[in-house]
Amino acid sequence: MRRRAVPQILLFGALAAFTAINLTPILWAFLTSIKQPVDAFSVPPTIIFAPTLEFHTQVWVEKEFWRFLINSAVISISTVTISVSCGTLAAYALSRMRGRSSRMLLFGLLAMRMFPLILLAIPFFVLAKTLGLINTYPAMILALVAINQPFTIWLMRSFFVDVPHELYEAAAIDGCNVWQVFSRVALPMVRPGLGVTALFSLLLSYNEFLFALVLTGPNTKTLPVAIAEYGGEDINYWSLSAAAAVGIMLPIVAFMMALQRHLVRGIALGAVKG
Amino acid sequence: MAALAAPTLARRRLKTALHGRLWPFLVPSGLVIGCVLLYPLGYALYLSLFRYELGTNTQEFIFLGNYSALLQEARFWESLARTTGIVLSAVGLEFSLGLAIAYGLYRLTYGVRVFNMLLFLPHIVTPVVAALFLRWIFMGRWGLLSAGLLGLGFFPPDFLGNPFWARITVVLADAWQFTPFMILVLYAGLNTVDQSQIEAAQIDGAGIWTLLFHIMLPAIRPLIVFVLAIRIMDAFRFFDQIYVLTSGGPGTATETITMYTYALAFRLLEIGKASALGVLTLIVSASLIALMIAAIYWRERERI
Repeated sequence: MRRRAVPQILLFGALAAFTAINLTPILWAFLTSIKQPVDAFSVPPTIIFAPTLEFHTQVWVEKEFWRFLINSAVISISTVTISVSCGTLAAYALSRMRGRSSRMLLFGLLAMRMFPLILLAIPFFVLAKTLGLINTYPAMILALVAINQPFTIWLMRSFFVDVPHELYEAAAIDGCNVWQVFSRVALPMVRPGLGVTALFSLLLSYNEFLFALVLTGPNTKTLPVAIAEYGGEDINYWSLSAAAAVGIMLPIVAFMMALQRHLVRGIALGAVKG
Repeated sequence: MAALAAPTLARRRLKTALHGRLWPFLVPSGLVIGCVLLYPLGYALYLSLFRYELGTNTQEFIFLGNYSALLQEARFWESLARTTGIVLSAVGLEFSLGLAIAYGLYRLTYGVRVFNMLLFLPHIVTPVVAALFLRWIFMGRWGLLSAGLLGLGFFPPDFLGNPFWARITVVLADAWQFTPFMILVLYAGLNTVDQSQIEAAQIDGAGIWTLLFHIMLPAIRPLIVFVLAIRIMDAFRFFDQIYVLTSGGPGTATETITMYTYALAFRLLEIGKASALGVLTLIVSASLIALMIAAIYWRERERI
């Protein structure tokens, strides 16, 4: 590649500037979370101050945000377990079925992914209220499975499609039945994909807000609902809510590090392969 | 006889193992989708035909009454127009910015991986948290932007309290979180363009802009239509950020159709009317999807 140095430097500078602006809100929240309110409320904003982790411990321990973390974890992990196990089976079948009906099913799933979620939230709320399931884990888990399922099937299918068909034939010749072809040949081949799908599904559940707002209560409140309530409150708690917000973001940064190589597939190809 | 039957049987078993009976694999997922997705949706459709108010516990069949009431209501049309405006500005901004950055990354020879990671971060931050981050930038008086402007001696507008600026802020917030998605997808797309085609154009003396607009963009046209379709759908139903940033306010300045549905269902507890509004939203977005898909197929056929 013949590329001149000067345009490259300009390009690099422009991209760096954009990235810096883009990351400012995150950095600002982080700085606020380690500032004393005196520094946080100064105009113009201070850059030099004595950092403190006081608010981080205070919000997670004293304000009991750890409870919401546990709620979030219970709900997300149950959702992923149900959604990925059912979704993987369906994805395998859909990756191998040829013809009109399987295409129709895939298209239908894609259409479901586009539903206005609020249309689903209303009946869920009414049903959960009738059954007395508001403020329980099952209502929230079922709702998240419903949102997750189409996406899980599509992403998992994109991994199954990459398995060479000859392997299935060889396994069938060796005497495997339909289930064994799946469990002994296909499943081990897509194990990395299974992990990727599970993590994306986990992210989706962890971030979900609308259903959590409607279906959870004091005992089952998840992190997004807790922080939305808290962050909207009195500005005097600014450092505390900033600490909580930054804390909620940390697992997501870890998630991104873990999935570095698969991000494009999960976000783009998983969706774009349609 | 046996010698003849055996291979036939084996072959049949082989065929069964390969192609037969895949449908049982669909059962668990089908049950799940039926119970937690299709049944509630059907129930919403059913509810939309009732005057059903949780507050007063009325439940009365009024057929399409909710729909005709909504269609005659100014608040419905206003929120629909507002949503369309916000969605189109946000997606337009995301696409142009995303394309510029993606092409920049494509031309860049050094540090692409790091940029990709850093640029991507806002996209996967919990939307509620992202909205708070942005709230702390745009907030009056102490927000970074307001405080910064004040420090420089300017008097900043009330970004969240003024109807005009609140709409801009909502668009910017959407763009902050979803431009990375555009960058990622478009960058991946640009990298799939046939290298020999690019080299041929370069030999013919094409500059970097000609290259982008006349060679690369036409090559990834289906991808562009698809990514725009996805973004428009998602922006249309998006809720989290606006709820945290402005809750539809000031007044109804940023009340999108989803925010309006939420207010109807969970503040006023008019479940029937809210369901009807949800169904109308579904119809609007479904016709948008249909248009987009028609566009993709039309382009595809044109190319063959």
